Amino acid sequence: MAKTILEVVDLKKHFTARKTLLSAFKEQERSIPAVDGVSFYLKENETVGLVGESGCGKTTIGRTILRLEKPTAGKILFDGKDVTAMPSEELRKLRSEMQMIFQDLDAALNPKMRIRDILREAIKVHHDITDEEIDGRIGELLEQVNLKRSKLSNFPHELSGGEKRRVGIARVLSVGARFIIADEPTSALDVSIQAQVVNLLRDLQKHLGLSYLFISHDLRVVELISHKVAVMYLGKVVEMGLAGRIATAPRHPYTHILWSSLVGKQSKEASSAVRNVQSGIWGVFDFERAYAGCRFAPRCPVYESKEYPRVCTDPASEPQLRDVGDGHQVACHFPL
Amino acid sequence: MDAPLLKIENLRTYFYSQSKQAFIRSVDGVNLEIARGETLGVVGESGSGKSITALSTMGLISAGPGVISGTIAFQTNGVQKNLLQGLENYVKLTEQDGKVMHVSKNVVGWEKHSDRIMHKIRGKEIAMIFQNPKASMNPFTTVGKQITEAIRLHTKTKDPLEAEDRAAYWLKQVKIDSPRLRLTNYPYGLSGGMCQRAMIAMALACEPSLLIADEPTTGLDATIQSKIVDLLVELKGELGTTTMLISHDISVISRLSDSVAVMYGGTVVECGPARDILATAFESKHPYTTALLTSIPSEQNIKEKGYLQAIEGDVLDTINIPLGCRFYSRCNRVTDAIRKKCESHEPDLREISPGHRVRCWLYFE
Amino acid sequence: MKSYSQISGEIGEFSNLPFWKKADTVDLVYVSYGLLIVSLVILSYVLGMFNLMPHDPQALNLDLMMASPGTSGHLLGTDFLGRDMLSRLILGIQAYFLPGLLAIAISLSFGTVLGVLAGYRGGRFDTGITYFTNLVDSFPRLVLILLVIAAFKPDIYYIMIVVGLTNVPVVASLIKGKIHFLRQKNFIEAAVSLGLPTRTIILKHILWHNCRSLFIIQATLGMGEAILIETSLSYLGFGVQEPMPSWGNMVQSGANYFMQGKFWPSTAPALAILFTILGFHLLGDGLNNMLEGKRGR
Ligand SMILES: Nc1ncnc2c1ncn2[C@@H]1O[C@H](COP(=O)(O)OP(=O)(O)OP(=O)(O)O)[C@@H](O)[C@H]1O
Ligand SMILES: Nc1ncnc2c1ncn2[C@@H]1O[C@H](COP(=O)(O)OP(=O)(O)OP(=O)(O)O)[C@@H](O)[C@H]1O
Ligand code: SF4
Ligand code: SF4
Ligand SMILES: [Mg+2]
Ligand SMILES: [Mg+2]
Repeated sequence: MAKTILEVVDLKKHFTARKTLLSAFKEQERSIPAVDGVSFYLKENETVGLVGESGCGKTTIGRTILRLEKPTAGKILFDGKDVTAMPSEELRKLRSEMQMIFQDLDAALNPKMRIRDILREAIKVHHDITDEEIDGRIGELLEQVNLKRSKLSNFPHELSGGEKRRVGIARVLSVGARFIIADEPTSALDVSIQAQVVNLLRDLQKHLGLSYLFISHDLRVVELISHKVAVMYLGKVVEMGLAGRIATAPRHPYTHILWSSLVGKQSKEASSAVRNVQSGIWGVFDFERAYAGCRFAPRCPVYESKEYPRVCTDPASEPQLRDVGDGHQVACHFPL
Repeated sequence: MDAPLLKIENLRTYFYSQSKQAFIRSVDGVNLEIARGETLGVVGESGSGKSITALSTMGLISAGPGVISGTIAFQTNGVQKNLLQGLENYVKLTEQDGKVMHVSKNVVGWEKHSDRIMHKIRGKEIAMIFQNPKASMNPFTTVGKQITEAIRLHTKTKDPLEAEDRAAYWLKQVKIDSPRLRLTNYPYGLSGGMCQRAMIAMALACEPSLLIADEPTTGLDATIQSKIVDLLVELKGELGTTTMLISHDISVISRLSDSVAVMYGGTVVECGPARDILATAFESKHPYTTALLTSIPSEQNIKEKGYLQAIEGDVLDTINIPLGCRFYSRCNRVTDAIRKKCESHEPDLREISPGHRVRCWLYFE
Repeated sequence: MKSYSQISGEIGEFSNLPFWKKADTVDLVYVSYGLLIVSLVILSYVLGMFNLMPHDPQALNLDLMMASPGTSGHLLGTDFLGRDMLSRLILGIQAYFLPGLLAIAISLSFGTVLGVLAGYRGGRFDTGITYFTNLVDSFPRLVLILLVIAAFKPDIYYIMIVVGLTNVPVVASLIKGKIHFLRQKNFIEAAVSLGLPTRTIILKHILWHNCRSLFIIQATLGMGEAILIETSLSYLGFGVQEPMPSWGNMVQSGANYFMQGKFWPSTAPALAILFTILGFHLLGDGLNNMLEGKRGR
């Protein structure tokens, strides 16, 4: 049985809207519950895919695990040690085992440094090696992510989107971490290079036993690379289970909608039919309006077709994740 | 037939690498055409010059030498206008075998001149959704202010309150939750996808006649992605917006585009009707297009969790452009009959059936 | 496979003609003018220090009062006491050089520390520093200087310490702004999560890579400012005190004779001030453009 490498217990992160002089006069502070009670675990040599609506808190989870944000509540155990209460020196050592590929293309790249220096620095942080070895390692990394050597002397702003993305990946790989949070690592890459990156990540996993938290909107890639998938909606995990099961036999209405709206699955003609399944009323959601019970209710086709059952909007009975067999968990009163 | 809204001919945009003493031929003879009301999908390898083509059209290339030749014909108010008018007064090229060897350009003068031409067009007639939305928004102003400003600058709505209403309306159109709250957010308070949608809203709010969308849907989940695609379809139907859509997501391209251009190594290697080029059954395609389409993860692939197929070989180095066909080193369809040509002569973009043009010796007798 | 470079030998050439219109050339002119001024200033400082001047700047020559420029031996003429103008101009630098450096050192060092604390640590530091900034800003600087002079004595060093201190908030807020900017680009976080020590992030990434030009500009502005402040104080009679020359008190004492058609005793130091301040500013500007690049996406 593989060891559990990361365990997230009831993690919460609420952002408060910036306090200005004006807002002090308003009665309550507006708070955005970006992550609202999320629990999951990750085993060694395993990939967990994290998908969900844009803005549902995926990146925030990644950032809190790395302690770039302080969680509002909850625990994060890495190798059994609580990250949330770690002194900064220990935290810094932890960075050699835990890395994140940032969603933002420019994030990791100091605009004033050449690509070569950026990679060199990343290698040097946790490895005490000579300059020749570093150069060798850089060459190796470039080959892995299929980037031309001639780009080494460029500054970040002189690269195309996909090239920046690959530098970002190379930078993270250079550290040699055991656990990598990959926040949309394949965005901005063409399908061929995307395939290479996905293959590379899986190769590394096979040979070095890496674990990934793989955040992506590309459901096909998620299904392919992940062992387990967690689906998030508005700061909560609504469904979690084996990748194949989530993709082919989803139980939560949101998961179902998500997978069926894959643009490729619909031809121009058929799309209207799919849209009916998706419920025509994908209105915008109002954070300021307090929701009671299930967060998905305002958009839920099941809720609608069952003629608005009380239990879905009862504040006392917010659906909790429960097992529906084989470790497949769903948070819905009427799973499909 | 109407003249196309945008016609790019033989566009070249180079950069200069001081350390290598060489040109980076990012865009090297691009030809594109977008008819009014159409959507042109642009696909191609990462680094093949898609964004640089778009930025050249917007007149936003800031590093030297920048745009050095070509014409960009754009229709405004029924008048055809060359956005690169007068370029030749500022640039002197020395060519050899049809390749540019030496450039002397008065960069400063050209930029001033270009700014004069683009002044009325940028943002108003041509709006662009940038590839990296977080970096393209001003981190020190709220999202609302930025969109409102754009609206007041580029549309007839001048009243601040009215403009704010419009901004909220467009945020709602791109499915951003609680748009009023988001108007007061700074870009760092938005998630990646929200930022992207705010960018889309800002571009659409200017009601341009040509929209250049550089990977508008990468950071969005499937549901919202499909909603944004719907929105673009709707705009196309209602307002007749013309779009140049750059994307790596073939499914988005195939749903939206009427025609497709495939780019490789700074040139267009194939262009034509979308349904032909993207159909797997369609035979006469450029070898790169075929290879690209087979790299898309298939259902089978996903089920078996098999390895994905990538195009063999290295990506093209735009400093070292090969003499012959740019795809030669990776091409698996070279026949003995044409090998010599492939190796030493670059094919031109030739029409092989009505509306379908390919840059490959295979199809030329 | 042959590539294009192999047959032509050279892959490409790019020349930016005409060269005087090239943006970099303008900066080069700025910087060379600035460097010229700075070296003149340093040279004068050294000459003054070792007393290597054409004449003794303090020697009175009552026979040759108000000699016009060009009078034998006196390139710039003499003042109302017959002292050599050129020598006094050279010696005048003494009044600015070290005190100016002191002001710059104070504003940059304290400003950097406060700015980094406010930007990097944030929270209470930030609030505290904001209050401090507002406090300093709300108090007219000249009044503050006059108070200090009244409390102690009219010494250029005291004045420059005050000038340096009042510039601390400016530098601090600039650095804070820069850090906020980088933070919003997620770049600092990426460096943190890479596991870089805080020291490296602050010293190398923030200060060295991203604040260099800021330092240069502030330093050059600071020098110019030191000269200006002293000049205005001299007018009030609180600057460097006679017989020690400073450009400020030279202008002031020379101004009395301006109406009599004897323009040089005031004009020479005034022009010196003008060209020197211009030099420092252009140096800062040019260096900034060279380091930062004028245009950027
Ligand atoms: N610094 C912040 N201040 C205020 N709100 C924030 C901040 N960072 C994130 N948020 C909010 O938290 C929510 C979740 O954001 P997050 O970036 O985690 O989304 P995401 O799931 O990664 O979305 P995407 O797929 O679009 O990147 C969003 O509503 C966002 O507006
Ligand atoms: N300022 C610059 N200086 C030097 N080279 C540059 C500069 N800007 C872009 N390039 C190079 O030009 C090439 C084309 O870039 P472009 O951004 O157009 O690619 P793209 O097709 O948009 O790729 P992607 O899909 O990755 O975004 C890249 O190889 C890039 O490195
Ligand atoms: S609990 Fe009710 S509203 Fe929520 S997802 Fe299930 S059926 Fe829909
Ligand atoms: S021209 Fe030759 S090398 Fe190029 S794509 Fe066609 S067959 Fe392949
Ligand atoms: Mg995100
Ligand atoms: Mg691009």
